[in-house]
Amino acid sequence: MTDALVPAWSEPFSAAARDRLTRLPPLETIDRDWAFGGATGRGVRVAILDSGLESDHPALHGRVVESVAVELDKAGEPHVVADDHGDLFGHGTACGGIILGLAPEAELVSVRVLGSDLRGKGPAFAAGLEWALEHGVRVANLSLSSKSEAMFGVFHELADAAYFRNVLLVCAANNVPGPSYPSLFSSVLSVAAHDEPDPWRFYYNPSPPVEFGAWGVDVPIAWRDGGMTVATGNSFAAPHMAGLAALLASKHPGLTPFEAKAILAAVADNPRR
Amino acid sequence: MTTPTPDPAELQVLRAAARRASIARRLQGDPETALLQSIVDATVTLFDAEAASIAIFERDPDRLEFRVAAGEQGAGAIGLSVAPSKGIAGFVFSTGQPLALSDVTSDPRFDRKTAERTGYVPRSIAAVPLVEEHGRGTVGVLQLLDKRSSPTFSLRDMELLGVFAAQAAAAIHATRIQRDLDELLHQALGRLAGDELDAAAIEAIVSAATDGLDPDEESPFWTLVDRLARLQSLGERELGLVGDLLEVLVRYAAPTRRRT
Repeated sequence: MTDALVPAWSEPFSAAARDRLTRLPPLETIDRDWAFGGATGRGVRVAILDSGLESDHPALHGRVVESVAVELDKAGEPHVVADDHGDLFGHGTACGGIILGLAPEAELVSVRVLGSDLRGKGPAFAAGLEWALEHGVRVANLSLSSKSEAMFGVFHELADAAYFRNVLLVCAANNVPGPSYPSLFSSVLSVAAHDEPDPWRFYYNPSPPVEFGAWGVDVPIAWRDGGMTVATGNSFAAPHMAGLAALLASKHPGLTPFEAKAILAAVADNPRR
Repeated sequence: MTTPTPDPAELQVLRAAARRASIARRLQGDPETALLQSIVDATVTLFDAEAASIAIFERDPDRLEFRVAAGEQGAGAIGLSVAPSKGIAGFVFSTGQPLALSDVTSDPRFDRKTAERTGYVPRSIAAVPLVEEHGRGTVGVLQLLDKRSSPTFSLRDMELLGVFAAQAAAAIHATRIQRDLDELLHQALGRLAGDELDAAAIEAIVSAATDGLDPDEESPFWTLVDRLARLQSLGERELGLVGDLLEVLVRYAAPTRRRT
């Protein structure tokens, strides 16, 4: 049997190709130093799908490289346009500040999906995510989700597209019942809050849907107009994991979302082995 | 498209349906508000907070309307409307994510104007979305101001608030149809008519059907409905007696009407 007859999906495993396959070191030898040691997030673009970023906020220290917003036209069609409105709420800036607190040299891309017409927020959110996937980001922080069952298929497709393009979607888990997309999909990294005041402390939950727990209670955060405040919510836990994912991606550029999740689980603070 | 005049017989049926629903709503009081009130009452007591309130999303124009409130500092919020993109309630509504902030007054995004309109500016605030499990998604926000025992909110606080929010969302879901009589008629007509009627035509029929239903407090008919509502607490025997009396009255009134 020649290589030409091997179906495309099997190509990476063909005799000629399989010698090139790399594998992770044994997970028990992986520690935080291997995962993040010396990493700064340099060269990694992180999209923040939120209320915008206040690019001149001291906590963001000039790391915002691009800002776009999703606007809906009269027919409800979303369009991605350059955005100079900063942060309409303060929430996006809070997430950006948390990410840079862990990965100070990461590049932030603001995708503002909040603050436009509320009726179209699901489609705007999806359009923003699609734009991010097409613009070279490695990690996307989603401290929001869509509750519309009509959006299930759209977000499922986008979550798959992200997974196959090695873009890790880090999603705040939702404590309220009902649909919540894409935070309930298995390919994303879903995050809930713990209350230990340590940005580096995180846990892996072996009983998903919520896979990781990071600091999300009484977190000091950057806020609008150069301000600071203290906040609680899963939406502040997610950017802690996004920051760690950015560090991991800057030190180990080729990792897939599945490998990144496995490594993060391996170096989590879970007390029992 | 011209607005077709609805068939008088059809209009009659619609009007009867609308009137029945309106009477039912009147007889039962406003169960949604009563339920939501009991939820904010329980919330404020359990958390020992200065205030708790529930805002519901309303359309045209899009806004969050504070429907009920409890607690020493809560009363001022009732009836207030805020744009869904404003303040903490607006943010929680937009993102569907529960959120708590401490030291709220130093937060420039905090909608201080709205807070001042209520006569109370909180130090801390926790807000959770009201999400209908099998319905329209996020329908409102439950908000808690200033827990007295602590300047911040714990994980458990947020979880408990979420439980109360789920109750509120269930209450809204259960009573929604009564509240949205017009919407119900719109939907029913839209489905029945298919493409034959445009939005304006449906609007015209619905207003024809519901025209005059808004209870004029002084009208003898609504006075009668109110009296009937009060009868609900009576025992079976008394209700039987009232029924008999009404029967006699109806028999007496019927020939009188025919004469006029």
